[in-house]
Amino acid sequence: MNMRQRTLLYSAFAILLLVLPLIIQDNYNLHLVIMSMIFILLASGLNLIVGYVGQLSLGHAAFFGIGAYTSALFNLKLGVPFWAGMVLAGGMAALIGFLLGYVTLRVRGHCFVLITIAFAEIFKLIHFNWVDLTHGQMGLSDIAPPVLKLPGLFNLAFSTKSQYYYLALILVAITIYVNSRLVHSRLGRAFIGIRENEVLAESVGINAFKYSMVAFVVGAFFAGIAGSYYAHYITFISPDLFSFSVTTTMIVMLVMGGKGTVAGPIVGAVIFTVLPEYLRIAEKLRLPIFGLLLLVGIIYMPQGLIKVWENILFKLRARGHGNLT
Amino acid sequence: MATLLEAKELTIFFGGLAAVKHLNMRLERKEILSLIGPNGAGKTTAFNLITGFYRPTEGRVFYKGEDITLLKRHQIAGKGIIRTFQKTEVFPQVTALESVMIGLHLKESCPVIDILFNNRKAREEEKRTREKALETLEFVGLFPKREVLSRNLSYGEMRLLEIAVALGGNPEILLLDEPTSGMNPEESYRAMTLIEKMRETGVTILLVEHDMNVVMGISDRIVVLDHGEKIAEGLPEEIQANEEVIKAYLGSDFIHAQAN
Repeated sequence: MNMRQRTLLYSAFAILLLVLPLIIQDNYNLHLVIMSMIFILLASGLNLIVGYVGQLSLGHAAFFGIGAYTSALFNLKLGVPFWAGMVLAGGMAALIGFLLGYVTLRVRGHCFVLITIAFAEIFKLIHFNWVDLTHGQMGLSDIAPPVLKLPGLFNLAFSTKSQYYYLALILVAITIYVNSRLVHSRLGRAFIGIRENEVLAESVGINAFKYSMVAFVVGAFFAGIAGSYYAHYITFISPDLFSFSVTTTMIVMLVMGGKGTVAGPIVGAVIFTVLPEYLRIAEKLRLPIFGLLLLVGIIYMPQGLIKVWENILFKLRARGHGNLT
Repeated sequence: MATLLEAKELTIFFGGLAAVKHLNMRLERKEILSLIGPNGAGKTTAFNLITGFYRPTEGRVFYKGEDITLLKRHQIAGKGIIRTFQKTEVFPQVTALESVMIGLHLKESCPVIDILFNNRKAREEEKRTREKALETLEFVGLFPKREVLSRNLSYGEMRLLEIAVALGGNPEILLLDEPTSGMNPEESYRAMTLIEKMRETGVTILLVEHDMNVVMGISDRIVVLDHGEKIAEGLPEEIQANEEVIKAYLGSDFIHAQAN
């Protein structure tokens, strides 16, 4: 592909995304697209610490839950609108990420993994048991949808799926932009240096603790934003958001899509949101088939779908050159 | 000559064993100082003490008069003291070019806000980093291998890449821990030429090396360690003639045999 073809392809793709709600008319499929986009925020953020810095964090669902509850509680108790709530949610998740990171990012490997799992469980239990505030297992309901207000011009409360779709599209675009800027800069190189060889990275002046923290906190921030969006989209949340299974879903997306790449978590999030839904036609065999697909995927594409795609492109290009000579 | 780095009474105990004992040592600007001694003499330990990888039980390290004993590794690197490792250390899944770009970390300072907006400042720094990395690869002779993943390089090439990564941050002092170990004679020779070239560009070098041909060939001065203690210090020819040193390397029997 030359420059022009690539620009053309990207433009076509962008237009497709802009008119998608016109193509996908039914609410169910549009809902799947929106859920994919929420998981793009989650998996991309997690990718920074897991894929780039190389620390396996299994507590990412906690930041999702914290974001959702922060935004929902501010909305329900104080009437704070979604837009401010979303910023507060991201900030709260980032703050708690910082505090957790301050303690845990000093350890690597198994210790770090275990602490992050425990952390998410603790937050789940807090939200489960602090009934006065969170209504426990009953969850929080009637969270107000976002309202777009321009005084005197219009006052629009979100009600249709396509409105939510465009909001998610903006969030995804910002997340991917920020992500790709970070990982293709000195920060990204520091992340990769830590992942590849922490001792060597420190010997050339990279502060491993600081850069791990940056990746961790930015990832937590995006998860908080995703949580807030989710709360105001579904309008009901419960402590199940903190579940370990939510984290494993993200990890599956990340690993199968291709960790340590910008596109990997995007591809993974879309496929692994849509695939389990379409497997419903297999009824009782749904989960066994899903498990089998994962198994085959991990064995034959350990570096994820993005790597497979890159290899295909590479071979095609090589063949192209072969024809010329 | 001005003293750049000074170790004073540096001591570290591992359990009951003093791996380095009361080491006093000065490194002068723009010299090549070699640290030699039999296996287990404490050479690498001394390196680790100077670069913040170990904390000394006693003693201090000064850099340009400033006490750097308790600084963290990356802070010491930030001062301009960069080391390489005895065991080969590379960024395995990263190309040679990207590895050196990682090594250039200390040369980069673009604020995050500029990076996010990818403005001219950010783009220019990115370009500078890439050019400097290519230059450094050229300098060590790895330019043709720039797109090869580090783990796919030959052993000798990996060792050269390590030097390139260390050189990235423009160190004032470069500590090389057995740079030629595992190299064939030709690569060894190349490494030696490289070390001399580095000195010419103004880098001060502290070298741990086993290959006596290398050591005697390029050192300005030599410090000899045995059992964690400094037993000799001087010019290469003085060290070659020093009885203590011969004894440490070959055992006292050898001296007696010669005397008889």
